[in-house]
Amino acid sequence: MSENPKMRWNLLSLAAIGWIAVCLHSNLSRADEPSLDSEPSLDSLDSKEPDIANILQQHCFDCHGNGAGEGDLKLDELLQQPGSEQTRQTWWKVLSNLRAGTMPPPDSGTKPDHGQINALAEWIKFEALEIDKNHPDPGRVTLRRLNRREYANTIRDLLGIDFNAEIAFPPDDTGFGFDNVGDALSLSPMVIEKFLAAASQIVDEAVPKTHLEIPETRFRAFDIRGEGGRNADNMRLNQPHRVRCTFDVTDPGEYTLEIVLKSGGAFEFSPQRCNLVCRLDDVELFRSEYGWDESKRDRKSFEFDWQPGTYQLEFDVAPIALADGIKDEGFADLDIESVVVRGPADRNFWKHPKGYERVFTRDRAPLDPEGQREYAREIFQRFGERAFRRPIDGSTVDRLVEIAEQFKQQPDTSFEAAIAHAIVPMLASPRFLFRIEEPDPSQADESFPRVDEFALASRLSYFLWSTMPDEQLFDLARSGQLRAQLQPTIARMMADPRATALVRNFVGQWLRTRDVEKTSIDPLAVYGVQTEFEQLLADFRRNRAGRRAPTNSDAPLDPEAEKRRNRFQELRKMQGMWDAEVRTSMRRETEMLFEYIATENRDLAEIIDPGYTFLNERLAAHYGIPGIQGSEMRRVDLPADSVRGGILTQGTMLTVTSNPTRTSPVKRGLYLLENILGTPTPPAPPNVPALEDSASKFQGREPSLKELLASHREASLCSSCHSRMDPLGIALENFDALGVWRDKEKDEPIDASGQLITGESFQDFRELRRIIATDRREDFYRCIAHKMLVYALGRGIEYYDEYTLDVLVERLMGHGGKFEALILGIVESPPFQRQRRAESSREDS
Amino acid sequence: MTRSSETDNRRTHRAAFNRRSLLRGLGASIVLPHLESLAADPAAVSVATAATTPSGAPLRMAFVSIPNGVQQKHWFPIGDPGEFQLNSTMKGMEHLKDQFQVIGGLKHENATAGRDGAGDHARSSATFLTGARARKTAGADIFVGASVDQVAAKSVGTATRFPSLELTCDAIRNSGGCDSGYACAYQYNLSWSTPTTPMTPDANPQSVFERLFGAGSPDERTKNYLLRQSSQKSILDFVLEDTKSIQRQLSANDLKKLEEYLVGVRSIERRLSSASQFSTIPNPATDTPDGIPPVFAEHIDIMFDMIALAFQTDSTRIASLILAYDGSNRTFPEIGIAEGHHHLTHNQSVQELADKVARIDQFYMDRFARFLDRLKTMQDADGSSVLHNSMIVYGGAIADGNRHTHDNLPVVLAGQAGGQYRTGRYLKVADQPMSNLFVSMLNHYGCPTKTFGDSDGELAL
Repeated sequence: MSENPKMRWNLLSLAAIGWIAVCLHSNLSRADEPSLDSEPSLDSLDSKEPDIANILQQHCFDCHGNGAGEGDLKLDELLQQPGSEQTRQTWWKVLSNLRAGTMPPPDSGTKPDHGQINALAEWIKFEALEIDKNHPDPGRVTLRRLNRREYANTIRDLLGIDFNAEIAFPPDDTGFGFDNVGDALSLSPMVIEKFLAAASQIVDEAVPKTHLEIPETRFRAFDIRGEGGRNADNMRLNQPHRVRCTFDVTDPGEYTLEIVLKSGGAFEFSPQRCNLVCRLDDVELFRSEYGWDESKRDRKSFEFDWQPGTYQLEFDVAPIALADGIKDEGFADLDIESVVVRGPADRNFWKHPKGYERVFTRDRAPLDPEGQREYAREIFQRFGERAFRRPIDGSTVDRLVEIAEQFKQQPDTSFEAAIAHAIVPMLASPRFLFRIEEPDPSQADESFPRVDEFALASRLSYFLWSTMPDEQLFDLARSGQLRAQLQPTIARMMADPRATALVRNFVGQWLRTRDVEKTSIDPLAVYGVQTEFEQLLADFRRNRAGRRAPTNSDAPLDPEAEKRRNRFQELRKMQGMWDAEVRTSMRRETEMLFEYIATENRDLAEIIDPGYTFLNERLAAHYGIPGIQGSEMRRVDLPADSVRGGILTQGTMLTVTSNPTRTSPVKRGLYLLENILGTPTPPAPPNVPALEDSASKFQGREPSLKELLASHREASLCSSCHSRMDPLGIALENFDALGVWRDKEKDEPIDASGQLITGESFQDFRELRRIIATDRREDFYRCIAHKMLVYALGRGIEYYDEYTLDVLVERLMGHGGKFEALILGIVESPPFQRQRRAESSREDS
Repeated sequence: MTRSSETDNRRTHRAAFNRRSLLRGLGASIVLPHLESLAADPAAVSVATAATTPSGAPLRMAFVSIPNGVQQKHWFPIGDPGEFQLNSTMKGMEHLKDQFQVIGGLKHENATAGRDGAGDHARSSATFLTGARARKTAGADIFVGASVDQVAAKSVGTATRFPSLELTCDAIRNSGGCDSGYACAYQYNLSWSTPTTPMTPDANPQSVFERLFGAGSPDERTKNYLLRQSSQKSILDFVLEDTKSIQRQLSANDLKKLEEYLVGVRSIERRLSSASQFSTIPNPATDTPDGIPPVFAEHIDIMFDMIALAFQTDSTRIASLILAYDGSNRTFPEIGIAEGHHHLTHNQSVQELADKVARIDQFYMDRFARFLDRLKTMQDADGSSVLHNSMIVYGGAIADGNRHTHDNLPVVLAGQAGGQYRTGRYLKVADQPMSNLFVSMLNHYGCPTKTFGDSDGELAL
């Protein structure tokens, strides 16, 4: 996942544990028997499941039975109802709250013991939810369209070009927190138009229209380099530069050399000028003078008769001194935009164009029409299987051949151009844009058949790589060996650089690392010095001289002015706290933590409390950690008393949940509930009372956050949500909106103590962190399993997935939370392996 | 890509391009839709009642949404409807006072919490143009209602090159879940062609322009536009056949998704087959916009300009524009506001913060005023202004952003709808569904309608 990753998975240890073997031991013998009458009722409970009836009676009916119906839930009545989609949804909520420890409420004076909770949970799963653990419903996955990232990656792997999908397509809508959820990936006519346009554009660029072309070597500004990491992009005219590029000539003959230079500059004119000298192997080729301009291009072309050898082009930029009295204002620059070497001119030395082998299978097309047709079939067969990620049928190939042949009838059309023409509609086809899955033919009659191996290959590649399967996956699918080779295949895939997609896309959305770089926070407003800064700035504008220390040593030193200058510099520096470098470093800190856990196959709970983190000099300074130098991010072990370590303390989490000017404990709390603890939100009360009513108590004074939040919680309607979110967010108040440590807020000491809804109390965030990593570890495992399952399946989690989740959590608990246990568990799970048979799709209303 | 690298070049082209020059001196050089041709074309006659003013000129309909409610005491006019004065938010609309009406007293019942709980912002934006209650789902079974602009667009059919235009000034999406358990589709889309299919809005003015008029330099546009059409034609034949062949093997749910694709493909096909009806593709005498401007006000202006241009050239008669998604926490450094908009709206008991909200309300209104100015100076086929021949709604489905109320919504209705609307007034109605306004607008637009969304009648205008 990182540059050169090594997988240290102990695959054998897990290989021994099959899917079914991990299933939970049920306390209820009945769960294992085939249940014919699946409609539970209180009467049948009394006789058959006295335990369940007792548990409900003892712990739940005070509020949810015997006439009481808090939150619109009457469990005794629910028991009487025949099983339906609606009762299952309700029982599912009961299960979630029971599991999360939010019900019965910790302060209700009743607390079922562990055995009772388990017994009730098992009963709900297998009886009320009617989950059949031997044949669990794999659920429905709505036909998934490639999202724009997957599209760009697939084009890259199919045709070898970088397509900028962020410019070409609008952003994809997300569902359940991820942008690869089939139901949410809609397709309006405008988007389809863009897919059609993209198909033409991509084929234009990527598919050669000829089988031979004059060889070409191309350098862009960034490839023409100088000392100290410099290159030929934006060379300022008032500084000397020397950059060069070298190329090899293998065949003798006539060559052309084309150089494009571009003069540019700031918006306003600058008088700067320079001389450019270009030498080929130390012999001057040309010499020109350049100045400020509006992106004006200068093209130079030369012809040579070259012998084989290595050639070097060198460019020297020498500033021209300005005449006396002319001030060197603004800036002007010169780019060597491109250098192109073309040749030899002799056709005998010409080569296949770039990208030729991705489409064409032979050195050149046959000349006779019959041979060409045969060859075209061969091409579409091979390319079609890759583009559609499954074998292409004969009649589609026939139609493509026909399209190519028709096009070929136009005068002066090459065979290659005709093939390219037929590839355009392939890239607009639903078979390319959607992920069409078919069942394993041997199980096609079962209600929950396995998907065939081509579909499985795509499920794997889009899960771990966000792109199409590679040749090795196709080979395994073709030979029907993919299921047999699942574990080594996953290990290979996780070690591939393409697995960074899992970090960028899964972690990017789960922990919101995608957002940190575009989060807008104003440090001056955070520290309340905005007005001061503006005043100083206005003062200096009025009196320009005051901004810099006087250069005339005779002038008397004004201590007041000196103080203000220093203060201004200080605020300037503060303004720069939220720059691009710190944001990128924050994103990388979170990503690298996940990468490290993944590649080293460590405990996922280290996301919470690792005892180390990833820093460079800039981020370490931001966090107040001394002794880290240089811009490179690296792993740093933290002392035991460090306030850093883990997602709760990382800049990513702390800033993406902040408002532009201050922290938001509510948003931080919500982040932790949703992404770390997975605590279900209670059904929100309808008609949340006006916030104004509580806020107006402070009579125009801005209340402290803790005061404001406390006043929210006074209203019982608000408290149902806020009593869950706020304590978590308030525990992190020691980190300001920029993620910097603070002991006080507005001169008041911060009180970060609190209590979780599940009863655990803590003094500060360190204790909270420890509680999550230990006492609530299972919750965290369930939460990450839930999130990753959504991402892997491309759909929301339904009640029938509870058993799959249980097995995943069990597997994590049994394997020290190892990353591999989760990935393998998901890939081997029924919803990942199987699908509902087309006719059997039970409509989820 | 050839195209994207060109875009990049243009972006680094710091000195040369001035966005403000866009659309300067437009109007004089543009091909106007002709009244005569409208009347002479039998295909056009059939739609003559729909989307056509009494004088026979094109009738336009547009919807502009603002987020997070408004500061009502600054927003609504002061005084009786009889003799009212514009309030501080509408200072910049003063010179246009006779071009619009302010409507008070409309409500969106389906935007209230009801039994659905939190998530007011997502719910409101879903309800704004649909009048329907969004099904609360994080993404599994999205359902709301067809929006008023799309109902109208269906009736216009192929009278214009594009049935409608959906735009947004929000190009950036946040990761993770959206508002309190609602799918993001509710929050980022305004127009819905069916209860399940949102019309994705475009944020990039360059791509909007190229879609309308063709890519490339001004003298290549029409050629490129026609090239694109012919390329689309050849693609469509194949994909329609291809879709048929895979339909057989799919389940009901998959078919629903494929249907979305098919509907889109068919609508492009319909447009292509009626393409011959449009013998000339307008070619505005202006530079193609250069991607998304970094300054928010300029982005808004240029998106408004795209609508103005599309209206003026009769490329479409229907448009919707999201100025910012509901719940937007955007900051406004241009007017010295460092706090996020959403954050500010929930702290209005503090005067200083409430004042900032009022300034943001005014900021949006000023942009809208500039748009109306543009439309007013554009001469239409019948000699009146494009603004005269338009009906444009500006507003949102949250009234008070602090308390999240949904009655007495802020609504401006601009334009005279070709003489059908009396402007220059403050219309106060007694607590009616916003959907009643939509029923009324659809009828004035030439789509006979009895009900829409949660309407219980027709608003008398």
